[in-house]
Formats: sequence, C-alpha cells, structure tokens
Amino acid sequence: MRRLFDTGNAAITEAAILAGLGFYSGYPITPATEIAENMSRRLPPAGGYYLQAEDETAAFHMAIGASLGGLRAMTSTSGPGFVLYADPYGWAIGSEIPVVVVNAQRVGPVSGITGAPGQGEFYLSRYPTHGGNFETIVLAPEGVREAFSMTIEAFRLAERFRTPVTILADQLVTDGWEAFEVPEGPGEAEALGLPIPARRAHPGPEFYPPTDEIDVPPVVLGRGTGGACSDWTPTEEGYDTEEVEAQMRHAFRLVYKIRNNRGLIDRSELLLMEDDPGLVLVSYGSPSRVARSAAREARARGLRVGAISLKSLWPFQDRLFPRHRTHLVVELNRDGQLVREVQRASGGRVHFLGRCGELPTVAELLEALGDVAAGQAPRAMPGARESW
Amino acid sequence: MAWRREILLSGFGGQGVVLAGRSLGLAAVKADLEATMLVSHGTETRGGYVRSQVVISDREIDSPVAERPDIFLALSQAAYDRFRHLAAEGLTLFDGGLVRPSPGHQGREMDLPARAVALERLGTDLAANMVALGQVARVLGVVPLDAVRTAVAELSKRGRDKNLAALALGQALDLGGALSAGEGRGA
Amino acid sequence: MDRLSRKFLRARKIPGTACSGCGLGQVHKRILLAIEGLGLGKDDLVWGTGIGCAGRQTFNTWLGDNFAGTHGRVYALAAGLRMALPRERRIVLTVGDGDAFGIGLKHLLNCARRNLDLTVIVADNLGFQSTGGQYGPTTPPGAVTDSSPYGLDEAGWLGPDLDILEILRAAGATFLARHLSLDGQGSVESVKAAILNPGFSLVHFIYPCVTHFGAVSLAERDKGRVLAWFREAFGDGPGEPGGGAGEGPGPRVGTGFLKFGRGVFHSAPGSRPDYSEQVKDWTRKMARGQGGGLATGNTP
Repeated sequence: MRRLFDTGNAAITEAAILAGLGFYSGYPITPATEIAENMSRRLPPAGGYYLQAEDETAAFHMAIGASLGGLRAMTSTSGPGFVLYADPYGWAIGSEIPVVVVNAQRVGPVSGITGAPGQGEFYLSRYPTHGGNFETIVLAPEGVREAFSMTIEAFRLAERFRTPVTILADQLVTDGWEAFEVPEGPGEAEALGLPIPARRAHPGPEFYPPTDEIDVPPVVLGRGTGGACSDWTPTEEGYDTEEVEAQMRHAFRLVYKIRNNRGLIDRSELLLMEDDPGLVLVSYGSPSRVARSAAREARARGLRVGAISLKSLWPFQDRLFPRHRTHLVVELNRDGQLVREVQRASGGRVHFLGRCGELPTVAELLEALGDVAAGQAPRAMPGARESW
Repeated sequence: MAWRREILLSGFGGQGVVLAGRSLGLAAVKADLEATMLVSHGTETRGGYVRSQVVISDREIDSPVAERPDIFLALSQAAYDRFRHLAAEGLTLFDGGLVRPSPGHQGREMDLPARAVALERLGTDLAANMVALGQVARVLGVVPLDAVRTAVAELSKRGRDKNLAALALGQALDLGGALSAGEGRGA
Repeated sequence: MDRLSRKFLRARKIPGTACSGCGLGQVHKRILLAIEGLGLGKDDLVWGTGIGCAGRQTFNTWLGDNFAGTHGRVYALAAGLRMALPRERRIVLTVGDGDAFGIGLKHLLNCARRNLDLTVIVADNLGFQSTGGQYGPTTPPGAVTDSSPYGLDEAGWLGPDLDILEILRAAGATFLARHLSLDGQGSVESVKAAILNPGFSLVHFIYPCVTHFGAVSLAERDKGRVLAWFREAFGDGPGEPGGGAGEGPGPRVGTGFLKFGRGVFHSAPGSRPDYSEQVKDWTRKMARGQGGGLATGNTP
C-alpha cells in the first residue's frame, strides 16, 4: 500500500487504474482537467487507452463505445461539460452500458468561476437526460480519500446495475489535497473492502430482461453474441420496437432495478446521532467536513446537534430525515437544491444555509445552528424573505 | 490529546506558496500524520493572490478550512491585508521586504525576511518560499524537520539543492516565535 | 427474402418498412454484396447506425452485432468501440445525410482527422425525409421542401462550389467515393475498397426518396421519372460530372449543382496511420515497458 499526499483528481485517476480502467476519454475543463492529464500520463503504462475528445459529448460517447466493446471506461468533466453529457448519458442508461462519469462541480451558472467550488448539479445529476423512466446512481465524495474509494465503488455499481454512475465531486474535492492510501493491487484492494468487479459480457440472446434483476452482464459487441443496443425502446433481444408494452417493461426495468435494490447503493454517514438530537446538519461533498467540525464544536458548547452526510445522493433514504427533527441543510449554492429533497422527505422544519464559491466556516455554521435552535432562520442568509 | 494545526500560506502567484504547502503536507504524511490542503487563487494565477490552507492533525481531519490559523504566512501585501484578521489567535509571519504590517491586529506577528535571506545567501529570491517553509516548520513543531527535508527533496523538480539550502536557512532563523505548548487547538 | 438476406440479415427485420420507391434497400444490398465479395461473415463486422431513414431501416438487420447511436454521435461511439475491438473486426456504419453532414459533421470530421478504421456509408436521400421532408445539408439549391416553401436559398454541402467530399478529403479521410443507389458493380467495388482501407472510409450513396423529395421538390411521384432526375443530377457514369445546367424532368430543381458526380473521389489507403491502432501499439509498448501488469485485458 502506498500512502500519497495528492489531489482528488489524482486519487480518482489512481483508483480508476486500480479498478482496471481500459479506456478514458475527456476534454480539458477546470477543475477536472487534472484527471485527463493524469490519465494521459498514468493510464498507458497500465495498459489503458487515453483519447482526448473533440468535445464532452464525444468524450462520453467514446467511453460508452469502448464499454460497448468490453473495456472498463470512464470520462470526467465539470458543469459546462456535464450538460453536454445529456445525449450519451441517456443512451447509456437506455442501452444499460456501464461507465463512470466524474463531475467536478464548480460555481455557476454557466462558466461561473472556474476555480471555485459549487454544488449546482444535484438535480441535473439526477435528471441528466430527457425522457424520464429511469433512475440514476450518483455518489458524492467529501474529500480526496473518499474520492478514491468511491471511484472503485462507482465501477462496481456501474457493472452490477448496468448503468452510468456519476461521481458528483466539487472543486474542493478534485483540486484539494489530502493523504490517501493506494492498495498495491486488486487483492489488497479487496482486503480493504474495495472489491474490483469483473468486466462481463452478456451471452445473449435476451439482453434486456423484463425484470428488476441486477448483476446481469451488459451487452458487449464484437464477440459474436448477436448483441444489439440502440437509442430505441428495445425488445428483450435488443430489436427496436414501438410496442407500448415493451416500453412499459423497459421503463420498469430502468427504474426498479435501482429502486428495488437501493439498499446496495444507499450510503450516508451519521455523526452524533445516537441520542436522536433535535437539530441536524445535512450536507454532502466538501461541506460535510465543515458540518462535522461544526457539529462537534456545537456539542462541546452544549448544543445537541447531529450531522448527516449523504454519500449516495441518488438514490438516498427518506427515512434519514424524520419529521420530528429540525434540519439545517448546508450547500454550496444559493438557490437550495438538496434542501428541497430533505423538505420533501421530512415534511418538518427545514432550514437552509447556502454558500457559493467557497465553503462556509465552522463559525458561520455555529451561528446558524444557534439561530435555528432559537427558532429563527439563519441570519447568514440575508436579503431573502424565504431562504429557499 | 488529539491535536490539529491550521497553517495559512499566502502570497502572489509564482512565489511557490503551493509548493511550500505541498511540502508541508507531504512531510506530515511521511510522519504518519493526516494532512489536507486547499488551494485557491484570486483572479489570476500570477499577480493575484494564492492561498494554501494546510491542516495537519494526528487524526482524521474534518474541516480542511484554516479559518483560525495557528500560523499565517504572508508573502504579499494583498495576502496580509486580506487574511491577517483570521490569525487573531495565531502567529503571523510576514516578509517585511514585501509586506508593511498594519497596526491594530490581534495576535503576535513577526518579520520573516525570507526573500532577503534567499537573495543574500543563495543569490535568488526563487527559494524564498523554502526559507519561509523552514521557519514555518520550525515554529509549527509538530512535523519532524527531517520529514520536511525529505518532502522538499522529493517535490523539487529543479533546484533541489538550492531549495534544501533555503529550507535549512529558514529553519535556522531564530525569531523567537515558537508556538507555545498551549497553542494549536484540539481536533 | 432473397439469397443475400438469408445469408446476412435477420429474418425478423426483412422486409423493412421503407416507402414505395425508396432506394435505401438497394444501398443496403450493395453493402451486403461487398461483404460477400470480401468473404466476410457475421462475426467479422459490427454494424452501427445513425438516426433517420438510413439508420432506422438498417438497424439490427445484420445477423451479427448491431448498435444504433444517438443522432450524429454514432461516429464518436464507433471511435470508442474501435479502440476496444481488434484490428480485424470491421466496423460499418450506415447513416443518413443529416446525421453525417449535419448534426454529426464535427464528429465525422474528427474521425477522418484521426483516420479511424471505420467504414461510413452515408445513404443520402437529399433531406430530412423521416421527419416528413425538410431540407437538409445536401438538399439541392432551390429545392422546395416542407421547410423551404419558397425554394432553398441556403448553401448546402452539395453545391456548385462546395462538396462535402472535398471537406472530408481535407480532413484526412483516406477513401472517399460517391454513388447512386442504382449503380451496379462499381458501387460494390467502392464499398469493398472502403471496408479494406485500414483507415477512415466514406461512401456517399445518393438514393431517391419518391415520397417526399420526389413529390415535393420534383413535383413528381413517378418512380421512373424521379430516377431519371437522379441520373442526370449525379452523372451518367463513374467519374462523370453531374448534369449540365439544363433543367431536369422535374419543374422545380435544376441538376447542375455538382462538380463531381459518381465514382471514387479519393483513394489513399495507408497514406496516413489509423490513430486507433497507433494508440493501441503505443499503449502496448508503454505497458510492456512497465512489466505489463494489465488489469485491463486490453493488451494481450
């Protein structure tokens, strides 16, 4: 095991290579450029192919093309490129092709500030394409070390569920530095709880079962299986069809293979929740770390506060947010995105503290917790009649 | 008792602030400590301010933000003006050749003539970041100096010897600014 | 079902759902004849398709492996697939004019630039016919369509001074040809040469659409007279330029809009490396230099 001090971008690269990445395609964009750079340097010696695409749409299409040919594949970008993923993302969902996607969120809208963190793609990552009738898997690392383990987890889930998995990071995770450990090989990785899945190929002829089952091998072309996949609604054999019954079966499968197996995906971290505190900080990604510091500090000051950090954003568990608690949701945006889902899940009192471009401080969270404990909205959100 | 140290390094682009932070973080990792670093840039890479927030601890680090730095290193006036108030409970090291300190701040501060030392002793101000790092590591106390040396040697693509010499010069400066045992906060 | 269909196509997709008078079936047949002529079988090539008449009609007809891409992006998809498949496994794409020369042109040109070993068959019906007959990037100048009711006044890629094949040649393609769906063995030979070329090949097949282009742009529903217009517009034989300035049989669209009619436009196999093979070779070398510890299985 090697111990490194490096960025989230480096951790993602190392993890993907450890997971047997066979193909990477990307297009430079801050703050994910370093993944492409690292891949171009590190992937070929490990036997994987690096291709720089003409744009993000092409990058994702190339990755799913490579996956379609049996390689473990990945692409990475930031928000302005993530919107260009809509087209291939839908294709990969519909054709059930495993691929791992990294989005290093920066502050927006549009180009915003390239080197400042944001969390503006919470919903976009859930609805990355048109047409509905699907669920997505989105994981959110809070730091470099977690970016490493989650990348391996993402490849595992992509293979098991035959779908793209998004690692929704933020600029502080990808550009931030931290100590992390790299296992020497798949054996050591498995011993550390990071098993690396085999890349499998469906033997055919029924590539698209009308069930919610997982661990069905994906379609791989070029091996004489008669595999077929397309943007059209498929029959079980992969023929394009306009029969509504087939569409119903397809939609059922895309939604429920994930929804009915969410226990295999759902992950969150609960801190100081054992005594069922009435006030809970909710966050994901890099703000989770500040929230954790703030929760500990609040406890030290006698305020009974807990913290929930979501690791899987989609799907996540509604039961984490019971109505009797008051929730303070912390996000790196001013519009409030996660907070809406927490409100929906909880139905109780939900407050919002939004920062964009930089992390809130522990001091700010403590002040906001004090405000909420006193029954008022956080003063740190001035100028808004309704904070979200 | 668990401990946590926050180090805020800031200057303008091109001064090697990030390399200094990386060296400190890597040294901590080599000493089996935990370390994080956040890097941010104001406006441009060169000319604006560069900020490196390093947190070192003997256990897993929660917030990576150096919001109340134990040590604040200011290598430019913009950095000093922007972040000096954060170090009210810590020690500020400013390079007097580049920064004119303003009165009225809380917390101790000392002139660390990193650029002058590098120019006089090594003939280049490029190694000023390493002179500063040497002093920061000395004052900080929690990261073994030989680990810092190893880290600097590893990360210096060019000018390794000069960087190590600069580091040693910085470590040797006695400004009387060690953190007292009570300084630095619990994790 | 004829002999070729039985040999190469999926019974379930034959016959297709093409309109009466559509020339797409002929294009499809030329490709199968070429495949047969080269002695290739169902496992020797993977067949990809785009969106539109050409894509939808040919998708999953091939007895082997098939895929259909999103509109205009199947070239990028195929580029990724090219990296994953061994050299001897061919990739043939059947796509339409809008897919290749409109929405997908950027990706097409980048495949040409990389000289990726792909055989792109553009089955061109001179406009967006599957959506009901709007003008597209190869609709002749002046044509009345459902979206150019006063006559097309925008320059396309098949104009008097512009030819998409010239652009593809400049972009680095190493085999380019143009044919009519009615062309016989000459067009089959072009497809064979395209498949054999170890680089980016494109065969531009123009085929008649009677239902929309014929009826609206030529004001003509008679298949024979529509075909006559195509013969005049795209030259009488291989290498011949398109027809002169004279009016075709249809009253609306002239035929003198092309400098190059039919035949092989550009053939330079081996003149440029196939970038996919270059990356594979180089990666293999890099990996071997590292002791070849390959979790990927890419590099045998």
